[in-house]
Amino acid sequence: MEAMSENKMVTSDFSTGPMEKAAKPLPFKDPNFVHSGHGGAVAGKKNRTWKNLKQILASERALPWQLNDPNYFSIDAPPSFKPAKKYSDVSGLLANYTDPQSKLRFSTIEEFSYIRRLPSDVVTGYLALRKATSIVP
Amino acid sequence: MAAAGAAGAVANVFPFRDARAAPDPVLEAGPGAHGPLPVPLVLDNGSFQARAGWACPGPDPGPEPRLQFRAVCARGRGGARGGAGPQVGNALGSLEPLRWMLRSPFDRNVPVNLELQELLLDYSFQHLGVSSQGCVDHPIVLTEAVCNPLYSRQMMSELLFECYGIPKVAYGIDSLFSFYHNKPKNLISSGLIISSGYQCTHILPILEGRLDAKNCKRINLGGSQAAGYLQRLLQLKYPGHLAAITLSRMEEILHEHSYVAEDYVEELQKWRCPDYYENNVHKMQLPFSSKLLGSTLSSEEKQERRQQQLRRLQELNARRREEKLQLDQERLDRLLYVQELLEDGQMDQFHKALVELNMDSPEELQSYIQKLSSAVEQAKQKILQAEVTLEVDVVDSKPETPDLEQLEPSLEDVESINDFEPLFSEETPEVEKPVTTVQPVFNLAAYHQLFVGTERIRAPEIIFQPSLIGEEQAGIAETLQYILDRYSKDVQDLLVQNVFLTGGNMMYPGMKSRIEKELLEMRPFQSAFKVQLASNPVLDAWYGARDWALDHLDNDEVWITRKEYEEKGGEYLKEHCASNIYVPIRLPKQASRFSDTQAPSKGSGASGGSAGEQA
Repeated sequence: MEAMSENKMVTSDFSTGPMEKAAKPLPFKDPNFVHSGHGGAVAGKKNRTWKNLKQILASERALPWQLNDPNYFSIDAPPSFKPAKKYSDVSGLLANYTDPQSKLRFSTIEEFSYIRRLPSDVVTGYLALRKATSIVP
Repeated sequence: MAAAGAAGAVANVFPFRDARAAPDPVLEAGPGAHGPLPVPLVLDNGSFQARAGWACPGPDPGPEPRLQFRAVCARGRGGARGGAGPQVGNALGSLEPLRWMLRSPFDRNVPVNLELQELLLDYSFQHLGVSSQGCVDHPIVLTEAVCNPLYSRQMMSELLFECYGIPKVAYGIDSLFSFYHNKPKNLISSGLIISSGYQCTHILPILEGRLDAKNCKRINLGGSQAAGYLQRLLQLKYPGHLAAITLSRMEEILHEHSYVAEDYVEELQKWRCPDYYENNVHKMQLPFSSKLLGSTLSSEEKQERRQQQLRRLQELNARRREEKLQLDQERLDRLLYVQELLEDGQMDQFHKALVELNMDSPEELQSYIQKLSSAVEQAKQKILQAEVTLEVDVVDSKPETPDLEQLEPSLEDVESINDFEPLFSEETPEVEKPVTTVQPVFNLAAYHQLFVGTERIRAPEIIFQPSLIGEEQAGIAETLQYILDRYSKDVQDLLVQNVFLTGGNMMYPGMKSRIEKELLEMRPFQSAFKVQLASNPVLDAWYGARDWALDHLDNDEVWITRKEYEEKGGEYLKEHCASNIYVPIRLPKQASRFSDTQAPSKGSGASGGSAGEQA
């Protein structure tokens, strides 16, 4: 019975869908097709836009997975256990020093003088690049 | 201008190619495509590029996929124009002007916006020459993400079966198809696939020919993150060229000028040395035009223009002076006449005239006459001088210092009407500076060069060290170790004998030796391993899918037919050697537009319905 009700929904989608295709209908397509995931204005306020990946994954989590089932979020790589090496923001060489004023890392004296002369937007750019911007309270 | 390879200051200068994609022709489906049975269409649906083609049986399967295009679409420029409609892929030409309007159906490596996916499929079918009416009458092999979310597969199946009416579909993983293509066919093999694409990098262990899905891992970094990182690095280093540092050019640098260091720290030490830097830095030449520069560069045209303006002003001044002279002359005459009245002794008339002129005494009149006559004399002098300078200007063509001396007196003219000619007033300070001759051309070029030094190894390094861009995930080496540790020792040995690298992001020079070095570090002393790179890391997924389709045409156990789609739902998957693992969870059918008109669909919105349907 389930299959039959599925069938009925499928066929009625077919026949009662209104057409809203582009100017030139392509011959191999069904012109009456509507996506069920995308409501558009007709479905009302609920189903306006496509779900993005985050939303899809959030609803996938709620499904009844077993412990060992592979799914999209279970195969995410784990966070790193090894301490990260520090590289200079400016040149990419190994950085032994950090500027206390701007928190940028540098490896040579010339880099230090270069860093001290940078405008503040470039400084925040470098920090944002390694996601080290501090959230000012 | 780009003299690469020559020793000296102009070594290592490379221009940007800035290639534009040519629009694809609408191809005719060749005779092979209309065999006795409908020929399968193979579509490698990637977040960077979509590759589509026919899987023709017979002696000549065809060299390359017929269509390869960027998986993006954009509406025509200037807002949403209803007439033109969205353009797809290669029909867009260059991507840069439309960068902010590009839309892709993908979110990371999963297609989420099925309308845009529909556009891409329309484009592919149209340009491949699909001619069947009312439906696409060919089986389709489509690639999907590793452990594709069920919702996404459901949407994709719905699109394929209901919109295009295809008879049957098979889903597979692109890296597994590539593995299939590169391995001898009849061997049931185990191995470890490291596949790095545009959005993410997967490490997939294969046991006995089937994917061991629960031990797969995915690092969310790929070619697009490397390009973004490189772009930010160069933009911060050259804030003046912000707009010229585009993502397309970054991709060009990554594809052609970057490499992976075998030992990152050691390579950085090499780059410290200035000689190594000089020899290996790649100077990317941005396009520039000398006209855009400001007034520091003096060309002859500028001189000409300035001369013309000077001449115009001088003429204007001369005219004004003459008019003033005339007025003064008249006034002087009148005063002289009044003075003569005094001398002639006609006192009454004199006094009356004085009153008219607003003067009190003959002495004042005298002094006024004197002042006015001297002014008239000066004006006459100036006019004569100006005429002389005009002549000299015309004769003197070279803009050298003698010209300046002539121009000096006319500066006074200029300053007196500074507000009249604002452009000229800007240039007056330059008239005083010594005029330099033509600037050396390569200085200007050097200003427009991007020096790509350590960035050549930093950008590809992010998949090995995600902490470079602040990602918390582990890099390839650590993830490899994590995965291997989940198996027993002999299985580990088995897997490591067959490490397979595939994917566009693996094509950096030096990648293979880097992976070998990482394996050497983590494997036990004196154990063996073997690393192999795919023969064509970019296209092998498509070739593998085509080979697979031709091998499995008759095998009904791997294709999902329309009937099965209708019975078991869109998220149903049939497993095969190159597919995901299917977990039999039913998704509720998504609420369609007309859910309120149909009674049976009432329970379909809630997840409680899924529990009922699963029973």
